Amino acid sequence: MVTVDGLKPKAVEKPKTAEELAGCLSEASRAGQAVIPIGGGRALGMGDPPARFDLALVTTGLDRIVEVSPEDLTATVQAGVTLEALQAELGKARQFLPLDPFASPGHTIGGLLATAWSGPLRQRYGTPREFLVGLQVALPDGRLARSGGKVVKNVSGYDLNKLHFGALGSLGVITEASFKVFPRPLFEETVEASEPQLTDAWREARRALDLKLPPVALELVREPDRHRLVARFAGSEDGVRRMVRELVWAPVGEADFWQQHSRRRAGRWLRVAVPPEALRDVLQSLPEAASWWAHPGVGVVHWVDFESAQVAAVRAAAEDAGGSAVLLAAPSALKSELGAWGRQPATIDLMRRVKRAFDPAGTLSPGRYLV
Amino acid sequence: MGLGPRTLEKLCRAVGRDHVVWDAYDLVIFERDASIAGALPDAIVYPANVEEVAAVLEIAAEQQLPVVPRGAGTGLSGGAVTLRGGLALSLARLRRIIEIDPKRRTALVEPGVVNYDLGLEAARHGLFYAPDPSSQKACTIGGNAAENSGGPHCLYYGVTTNHILGMEVVLSDGSVHWVGGEDPDRPGLDLLGLLVGSEGTLAVTTKLLVKLLPTPEAVSTLMAAFPSIESASKAVSDVIGHGIVPAALEMMDKVTIGAVEAHYKAGYPTSAGAVLLVEVDGLTESARELTAAIEQILETDDAFEIRVAEDPAERELLWAGRKGAIGALGHIKPNYYLHDGVVPRTKLPEVLRDVGRIGEHYRLPVANVFHAGDGNLHPNILFDLREKGIMKKVEKAGEEMLRACIDAGGTLSGEHGIGLEKNAFMPWIFGPDDLAAMQAVKDVLDPSGRLNPGKIFPPAGQIEPKLIARSGVASEARWW
Ligand SMILES: Cc1cc2nc3c(=O)[nH]c(=O)nc-3n(C[C@H](O)[C@H](O)[C@H](O)COP(=O)(O)OP(=O)(O)OC[C@H]3O[C@@H](n4cnc5c(N)ncnc54)[C@H](O)[C@@H]3O)c2cc1C
Repeated sequence: MVTVDGLKPKAVEKPKTAEELAGCLSEASRAGQAVIPIGGGRALGMGDPPARFDLALVTTGLDRIVEVSPEDLTATVQAGVTLEALQAELGKARQFLPLDPFASPGHTIGGLLATAWSGPLRQRYGTPREFLVGLQVALPDGRLARSGGKVVKNVSGYDLNKLHFGALGSLGVITEASFKVFPRPLFEETVEASEPQLTDAWREARRALDLKLPPVALELVREPDRHRLVARFAGSEDGVRRMVRELVWAPVGEADFWQQHSRRRAGRWLRVAVPPEALRDVLQSLPEAASWWAHPGVGVVHWVDFESAQVAAVRAAAEDAGGSAVLLAAPSALKSELGAWGRQPATIDLMRRVKRAFDPAGTLSPGRYLV
Repeated sequence: MGLGPRTLEKLCRAVGRDHVVWDAYDLVIFERDASIAGALPDAIVYPANVEEVAAVLEIAAEQQLPVVPRGAGTGLSGGAVTLRGGLALSLARLRRIIEIDPKRRTALVEPGVVNYDLGLEAARHGLFYAPDPSSQKACTIGGNAAENSGGPHCLYYGVTTNHILGMEVVLSDGSVHWVGGEDPDRPGLDLLGLLVGSEGTLAVTTKLLVKLLPTPEAVSTLMAAFPSIESASKAVSDVIGHGIVPAALEMMDKVTIGAVEAHYKAGYPTSAGAVLLVEVDGLTESARELTAAIEQILETDDAFEIRVAEDPAERELLWAGRKGAIGALGHIKPNYYLHDGVVPRTKLPEVLRDVGRIGEHYRLPVANVFHAGDGNLHPNILFDLREKGIMKKVEKAGEEMLRACIDAGGTLSGEHGIGLEKNAFMPWIFGPDDLAAMQAVKDVLDPSGRLNPGKIFPPAGQIEPKLIARSGVASEARWW
């Protein structure tokens, strides 16, 4: 049985088509019910505890890979397709979606887009915001609305893709998505700086990021007894080898480092995101024994297994630095106490007006999102 | 309709007497952009800063006047045309590069800054601003953001929306807001992403924080000549199919090559049916390796001449031909009508065949010069406005070409925007429910619908803009 923050829904629906899903949604909306869309359930810890929960609208019945077009470097999938299923299909033509979210495997595409979760590869490719080219979304009134298209370049109409990306399903339920996909790099190598102290690690990270071909992923990981700084390079073989030589780091120990890394998850999990220049200071504000991993080039640190009392200070530091600290997972009581999202953005009124325009009855995930 | 003296008085007080224009003769200057449509504003205002922009919008709100923001007026879909009169709001005086931060690799600029000028300034720090529309020597960063403009190098680097971190915007009620920012994963709805590409219909941009990138270590530019458009199109598909995404991959057809050579002597073989310009950048060894791989693919695909630029001067010349192509077409006919459809790359040969057929059917010369790597077509219909009744034919041909793109699974516009030129075709790709969702957003941000009215959404009643047509010789040639 699905629960969100311990709350059980009165009903669960698992529609097989977008139309059916839109139908369930509008019916619930008309009945004044509260609906929470559920994908792979990997990121359900996100958001404030829901105010109400009547219907769990499970998207995993929408499990079709609609179209993969390797020569066009595009793919269209239904929202319930898992990232792994899509990658397997794309892999047949040596292509991939450059997305490696934490708490893998098992994310659905719809869930990933709604939560805007991503992983280390965002250093090079950005988040799906940058390569999502089309969406179909079920709205609370039962309409299915498309934005964008299936081609890689498109300025026809408003870019509503961006509005739904990261909105935690608060404006509509994503039913289908189209992406620009990427060729697999010709050559890859992962290297690691040798046992750096934290200050050395910053210097080394800077060196890596300033290379003429910066790494596609760069992770600084705090383990109980040490820091690790790991870089993933991709490109032409000669080029990658030169970068690795210039850096003088050693090959990483684990053959499956990135896969292991993407499995990281926690029941107490804070994502701190600040302008990259401010990350170092924020990390210094974390308790000495904290356990975390960070993307130094992006400005994000994932802090896990914290003590409740420690959060407020770190959040304040992040917000003062012009960033945010969002709870990706935490006990409901703690989320209720601290708020999952932190300080409200200055444009909250505009956002609320947009939310009301899409979901006037407050059907979708009431109370969970910050808007 | 004309504005009352009290309104003019208020506008003058807001931005200074010298910065309001309402003389009928002067208004003609802002009658149009680079598209084929035109309509007169009632007044042109030139605010100098965000406070003045807000003041103008407040006055417009009070008087219920339409407001159309305007950058350099190089838009190709009628975006800056004051279709319903009202105020043309020029951002030309907001032209400061406020700050370039080489460490953070960002620039904070005002919207009237010309794309090329930002590039020059960034270059002093070893950085560059990636989106490079061919009009970059004239168009503004604000206009680029409003259209979500692309350019040759957007194949690899992405389009404008991928390079804007934040914006200061003024809504039609005169309120000022910051959207976006330098921090990743901002909680809340992505208003920035929504506003970029909204064609001045949702907000007026008054500041932009943009990303800059370090200039690559090596650049390699290659020109390849093919017997036909088909063979060149196949080569495009094959390059991408090999897992190579070059920085740029551009195509020009025979008509374009002839015009360009007459004007620029860029070195494109005039016997070719099509020419590809391919650029790769990155590390020295990668550029070398990729260039070799691409050369091999192009040869197998029947390229009969391949030339790799030996030095920056030769590279510049190869690009000058491409970037100045549209102006050069003035050698063939004085006017042009440029379309901007996108198709899946694999559909290029068949859609280009259709485009050729349509041109022949209407006896109109068509020049193709476009972003082939993205499947972004630019069929350019050439004509002479002095020929009686020609506009109807030109429009009809353009419409049929767009239809061919849609039938091939493509879209109406890849980078020039919908504006008032293609809004009537929006129902081809979006159903009523899709458009209603977009309208809902419009109603939230501009409830009285006064910001750039008559654009993007299919017209309810028909308002015919005055078709004026663009002269290639007179205007574009001058930019280059
Ligand atoms: C020869 C030629 C080549 C071109 N090549 C390309 C190309 O390669 N790629 C490409 O994408 N485009 C190209 N274009 C089209 C055009 O240059 C772009 O659309 C450009 O971004 C327009 O900028 P502008 O400053 O001229 O804007 P304008 O034409 O003045 O305005 C365009 C739109 O933006 C709005 N706008 C302008 N400034 C603001 C602001 N500050 N706030 C809110 N809204 C605003 C206007 O209302 C209008 O809707 C080309 C045009 C020409 C004539």
